[in-house]
Amino acid sequence: MTDFAITTHQLAKTYSSGFGKKAIHALKGVDLEVGHGEIVGILGPNGAGKTTLLKILLGVVSPTSGTGTLLGRPIGDVKSRHRLGYLPENHRFPPYLTARQTLDVYGRLSRLDDATLKERIPMLIEEAGLSSWIDTRVGKFSKGMMQRLGLAQAMINDPDVLVLDEPTDGVDPVGRREIRDRLRLLKARGKTILINSHLLTEIELLCDRVAILNRGEIVQVGSIDDISGSQSGWRIECRSLQSGFDLSNFGASLEGPDHESGIIVPSGSLDNLNALIDHLRQANGQIVSVERHRRSLEAGFLDIIDREEKS
Amino acid sequence: MRTLSGSLLLTFRELWAMRLTQGILLVSTLAWLFLSFAMNLDVVEGSLAAVRIFGLESTPSDMIKDAETGEWVRQAVSVDKFVVGINSFVFGASYFLGTLLGLFATMPLIRGFLEQGRIDLLISKPVSRNQLLSGHLLGVVLTVLVLASYLVGGVWVALSLKTGVWFTHVLMSIPLIVIMFTVMYSVILTVTVMTRSNGLALILAYGLIFISAIMAAHEQILPVLSPTAKTAFNTMYHLLPNFVEVVIIQAQLVTGEAVASWYSLISSILFGAVIYGLGFIWFNRRDF
Repeated sequence: MTDFAITTHQLAKTYSSGFGKKAIHALKGVDLEVGHGEIVGILGPNGAGKTTLLKILLGVVSPTSGTGTLLGRPIGDVKSRHRLGYLPENHRFPPYLTARQTLDVYGRLSRLDDATLKERIPMLIEEAGLSSWIDTRVGKFSKGMMQRLGLAQAMINDPDVLVLDEPTDGVDPVGRREIRDRLRLLKARGKTILINSHLLTEIELLCDRVAILNRGEIVQVGSIDDISGSQSGWRIECRSLQSGFDLSNFGASLEGPDHESGIIVPSGSLDNLNALIDHLRQANGQIVSVERHRRSLEAGFLDIIDREEKS
Repeated sequence: MRTLSGSLLLTFRELWAMRLTQGILLVSTLAWLFLSFAMNLDVVEGSLAAVRIFGLESTPSDMIKDAETGEWVRQAVSVDKFVVGINSFVFGASYFLGTLLGLFATMPLIRGFLEQGRIDLLISKPVSRNQLLSGHLLGVVLTVLVLASYLVGGVWVALSLKTGVWFTHVLMSIPLIVIMFTVMYSVILTVTVMTRSNGLALILAYGLIFISAIMAAHEQILPVLSPTAKTAFNTMYHLLPNFVEVVIIQAQLVTGEAVASWYSLISSILFGAVIYGLGFIWFNRRDF
């Protein structure tokens, strides 16, 4: 077994739309390494090349140049997909199949024998919360049910690597939490998961590491703290504060443009925080709340993308 | 074999869901129920004395020239000739209508197969692209084989039981229908893989059938063409499928005659093989 479940080296993809038309460089030399048992999120604005990257890993799209491996085998090799599960974005299961038939067909295509299918299909359907719908045609399923069935399909062969493209797309908050819980369970079982999602909160709650793609290039790879800037501290909500109140002595700053905004105090000694609160009280400020503050992944992501766009 | 069974199941279930198979099975059943119950034959010494359809009687007869008097006289049709006539009609209709309707009806199948969100999921499975496309093709061809066998075989059994005349060579029509459907389906499959346009694929397939009707008259057309046009016509004749001309082979098979030339069938099969080759190469190289 190699050290990484997924590797790519200088992976590039150029789409040429036709004679005389401008070529689109969807990926420009992407290097990525995903360790066994990791959950890695791929983030990026629309058209950044996220789906292209996933499709190259799966052999659906061929790279223009560069190499990569999936579970130690070259990407594109049929055998590399034996221990792989994939949930595409906007997947379309044939509407005439029932949930059971869907898993049966995709299980056969994953080379599973009848005995394994007989055991795994009811189990996965139950885990997906679709037991009472097992013999219903999927054409009648809601978007959320389709997504849960899609995840069950991706896990039909008990894969070592799961590639999920927008797994919580169209799923309600309860369903999203269920999917998150299932993915955490899979991580605990040692599965490697690569997720492409627009929902940054999902990524933040799930992933060990995040890779940010912009205009076909990976601009940053790191932990959630690395990406968000790791600026933890406190947030004070204070009312009736006079304008021109000086916060600089405490290293604090206003969250927004006016004095009704929250006050962000960087992490440091508690004495500093308490001194600021005393100062605010003396200035007749009304303290509404004091809470731990952590910069969101979204803020870090947007900063990185803005920086890239400016450069 | 597991992956092939998956592909086949997918195709069979889709065809079943489209109600296509049920429709053809129903029409076929009606055809041989009609022959079994609605049509009654009175056979006297090997000749057909009368035919009753839904109780209405008719006396089929041929006009033949009397050898002694030289006059044209009516004579009862032999049962053999009647059976050949019915067979020719049923199998000719199956060949033309079956193929045209079959192409039209199976067209959405390949479009669905190549749909975004479905094909990428299929390719992500540990199956080669060749296996995926072969599985799809095999599913379609096997379905056509079953439907053609049901219609042609059923009519043959019903007619043979009725008349006592068992012309087994007419069953050769079944592989002929399946082969020519497969040849024409190569156009649907390859054009859809290349362009994702079902409409274009169908227009081209039907266009080729239309052109083959013109080319079937090549012996009459060639003498009136200029040398350049003659070369172009001949090239087309040899390169494109001879769908209509294959009917001659079918007629000879149905009537039990020796087949004069298999060329139109062989050149059509070669055309299909080349087009499938292109389709498979394109499917292997294409990004989805």
